[in-house]
Amino acid sequence: MLKATSVLVGLLLSISVVAGELSVSLRQVDGQAMPNTVVYLTAKDPATLSATNTISDKSAIMDQIDLQFSPHILVVQTNTRVRFPNSDSIKHHVYSFSPAKTFELQLYKGLQANPLLFDKSGIVELGCNVHDWMLAYIQVVDTPYFGKTDAAGQLQLSVPDGEYQITFWHPRISQEEKQLSQSISLPAQQHFSLNLTNPLLPDLSQYEQHQGDFSEYE
Amino acid sequence: MSWLKLSLFSMFFSVNVSAVELNVLTQFNYVLADDRASWFERDTGILAYSDNGFHQQQSLAVISDSFSSGLSYEAVGHYYQQGEQHVGFSQAFVSYKPLSGDHLRWRGRVGVFYPKVSLENVDLGWLSPYTYTQSAINSWFGEELRTTGAELTLFSAGRSRNSAFSFELNTAAFKANDSMGAVLTWRGFALHDRQSLNHEQIPVAPYPTVIDADGLNHPGYVEPFHEFDVKFGYYVGAHVDYFKQSSLRYYYYDNQADPNAVNPQRLYGWRSYFHSLALQHKFNANTRIVGQWLAGHTVMGEHFVAADFDAWFVLLSHGQDAHRFSLRYDHFSVTEDDVFPWDWNDSHGAAWTAAWRYDLNDNWQVGAELHWNKNYAHSRQSLNQDRQISQQQSMVVLQYRFAAQP
Repeated sequence: MLKATSVLVGLLLSISVVAGELSVSLRQVDGQAMPNTVVYLTAKDPATLSATNTISDKSAIMDQIDLQFSPHILVVQTNTRVRFPNSDSIKHHVYSFSPAKTFELQLYKGLQANPLLFDKSGIVELGCNVHDWMLAYIQVVDTPYFGKTDAAGQLQLSVPDGEYQITFWHPRISQEEKQLSQSISLPAQQHFSLNLTNPLLPDLSQYEQHQGDFSEYE
Repeated sequence: MSWLKLSLFSMFFSVNVSAVELNVLTQFNYVLADDRASWFERDTGILAYSDNGFHQQQSLAVISDSFSSGLSYEAVGHYYQQGEQHVGFSQAFVSYKPLSGDHLRWRGRVGVFYPKVSLENVDLGWLSPYTYTQSAINSWFGEELRTTGAELTLFSAGRSRNSAFSFELNTAAFKANDSMGAVLTWRGFALHDRQSLNHEQIPVAPYPTVIDADGLNHPGYVEPFHEFDVKFGYYVGAHVDYFKQSSLRYYYYDNQADPNAVNPQRLYGWRSYFHSLALQHKFNANTRIVGQWLAGHTVMGEHFVAADFDAWFVLLSHGQDAHRFSLRYDHFSVTEDDVFPWDWNDSHGAAWTAAWRYDLNDNWQVGAELHWNKNYAHSRQSLNQDRQISQQQSMVVLQYRFAAQP
């Protein structure tokens, strides 16, 4: 097994790839920056794909803080183990019915639940059966080239040269598929800008605001 | 050694996975009481305390657990120094909320519990986190209202539909709330935090028309959670929430009791129904307004005793760091509508309650409360008391709470 892994690592190292910086910019219909949006690049070339589609041994965290999921949107590579700690002093009951990962997890106060393996790509919508206003997304992507736009709607990614499909996702973006998933060629297109043409879906971030204690019978 | 490590690990693990939660809260106070003693002393005051001094205000323990299936249970036990029954439970129920990805979902409860009529009593064990002396409406609910039955809820969480609005429809069928309305009619509304326990007897002042042999010949107490007939009571309720900022709850409750049902103790069924509308709006994370309005009717016997009742309150509460300041105004009245003019049941009043509560840490809290009311009860005349009185009550309270997973 050790031998096989060494061979695999050796093979991977021997593939010479030239990584370049890709700068992505996303703007709303009114010109304002669009933050917190998932951006990922999937390679079109099978050779590049096999080079990038390595076994991930990564982990990520979806926490529960002040009766909210944190972060609201998490993006991970396939085969990432996600831990669900509970930073609150009360219990949560996290669940998902999304095809990419269907599960339920009781998160008792003071107990560490085992991490869950996310091995299928897709969007996983999380809810809490105790607190109906809690909602979060885990986007599982089949590539190591992903990130989220910052407050200025910008993202810098280090990506090897090649032909890719660049895809954008955010729960409030309502746009045609062909605009949200486009071809990109690197290093030719080192700057990629997308201006949304449709207005965003309603802003529900008020659910995330702290509204004081004693909201409901607990 | 490894087997030892393994068994120690499993012991530790099995203790930790126990999800049973125990929440305990206890309050001690020093009270400057009003001169007019309370119904607990078989007098006609509408405040709970009759003597100045230190009191064990209340202790309660809530035990609960929940399971992956969506099943959970909760039981609330109490110890009170005041009243006829010192130890007992106020609620004990099993809930089922199946996991579902649907936008319209359901859940149910079976057991003994409160309908979710109140936006004031949202702390542990149906206590108010705002004032110690609760509103007239919810003081009465704590005394005479309880569901012993099954509740079905249809709900739609706005978050799952990408909407700012959440909805909830509740309906329940219940038994054992057939004397509801008796205490309210004879004594009138009162303001306190003493919830009635299972099988509790609530004392009634010795009004001649109530207890005399040539009157109703009723015992000097009421048992609010008695079943006198075979009929089920019901309630329906609707909740609307805007984000977590604003809430509105409407309930219609009807115990459907047979007002002519009487048991060997000569306790009667009281047919009672009411509308309740509760509102809450949070101006921001610190400041909120809570209000409730209640209107209903109760009747006992062949219209021997009958009354309309209505009440409302407005509460402002502001939390600043570990401090919480609350101010509430209550207005309440009972208007009789029965066949015996010599049975005086009119009562009404208004009250101000101001409270400060300060969390010293997660466990300890100190607080102080001032209460003033002016109230009228026609029935006091039958005991040679002034019908109209003003009452004041002040208290400082030390509260301790903890949560544990035994």
